[in-house]
Amino acid sequence: MRENSIGLVFGLLFLIVLVGQAYAGLAVFNEAQRASGLPDVAFWRYVTSASFGVDVAENWQSEYLQFFLFIVLTVWLLQRGSPESKSLHKPGRETDEEQKIGPYADEKSPEWARVGGWRTSVFANSLGLVMGLIFLGSWLAQSVAGVAAFNEEQLSERQDPVSWGQYVLGADFWNRTLQNWQSELLAVASMAILAIFLRQRGSSQSKPVGSAHEATGVEG
Amino acid sequence: MRRPVKFRSLLVSVALLGAAAGCATVGEQAEAASGIAVRLLAVVDAGDGEAACALLAPATLRTVAEDEPCPQAILEKSLPRPGTVVETSVYGQWAQVKLDDDTVFLGAFPGGWRVVAAGCTPQASRPYDCSVEGD
Repeated sequence: MRENSIGLVFGLLFLIVLVGQAYAGLAVFNEAQRASGLPDVAFWRYVTSASFGVDVAENWQSEYLQFFLFIVLTVWLLQRGSPESKSLHKPGRETDEEQKIGPYADEKSPEWARVGGWRTSVFANSLGLVMGLIFLGSWLAQSVAGVAAFNEEQLSERQDPVSWGQYVLGADFWNRTLQNWQSELLAVASMAILAIFLRQRGSSQSKPVGSAHEATGVEG
Repeated sequence: MRRPVKFRSLLVSVALLGAAAGCATVGEQAEAASGIAVRLLAVVDAGDGEAACALLAPATLRTVAEDEPCPQAILEKSLPRPGTVVETSVYGQWAQVKLDDDTVFLGAFPGGWRVVAAGCTPQASRPYDCSVEGD
């Protein structure tokens, strides 16, 4: 249990917060319903609505974009003194020996790291690939739910609905998208830089308290 | 003659709402909404104000009936004769039915669609101007 507590605790917190978001979103949605002279909707109707869908998806896509960029760009990008960076002399994809690929795999290496060919190529990029695919899927879901939610609002204001193409080139889609992207990028940049000078004793995301500010790629 | 109904609707809403809540599909909802819109114009055209007012959303009914009883007031709103349905859009709790002479907005109520606004004409980049609507 303790050995899986990061996944378990964050998974549980995710579910609790998602339910909280659903109830808060339902209250906002029903305020708008009443303001338009329409009856309240039930909880289940709201959580299957485009309005809830776009609110969830727009946050998911930005989180997965953040991880995708962080995972892929930190192959080449470095930050002196940051535990979020690898050692300064190791920029790039590194050698097969350093990465324990093919003939350099050890007895505990995953099979796809050992076999070579396309399977090793896919496995060697699988974390970035999956994060990138979840990002694209969530972003697409945001656009599809977003145009429905936007059009629901358009109709409530006696205006014409728009097509998906018009929506993804329009202000609502990019306002929702960019406001999430900017916060994720700020969080990454500030974490990488603050962790140079600040410490959290015992955290895997911090250098040991007594490590030098210049020590790079060291985690506690 | 069967009215041509062109649906511009969203598959996600259909799948999620339909499957999860056991509701009608968006196609069925669009058919129901366009039926109510045409019925409103038809009963007004026939001079049946009572039947017309029974199709209005509560807030719209209150506004129409501000100065005189709804069954009389609705007949004085210069609504056009029922025409051909050109396009029906359904998004969540709202529907828009475009006819060749009118545009009608409807809202979802427990008993089905009710007319929120009718006799609506488009205004460039602004909300439709409607002869029948709530506050």
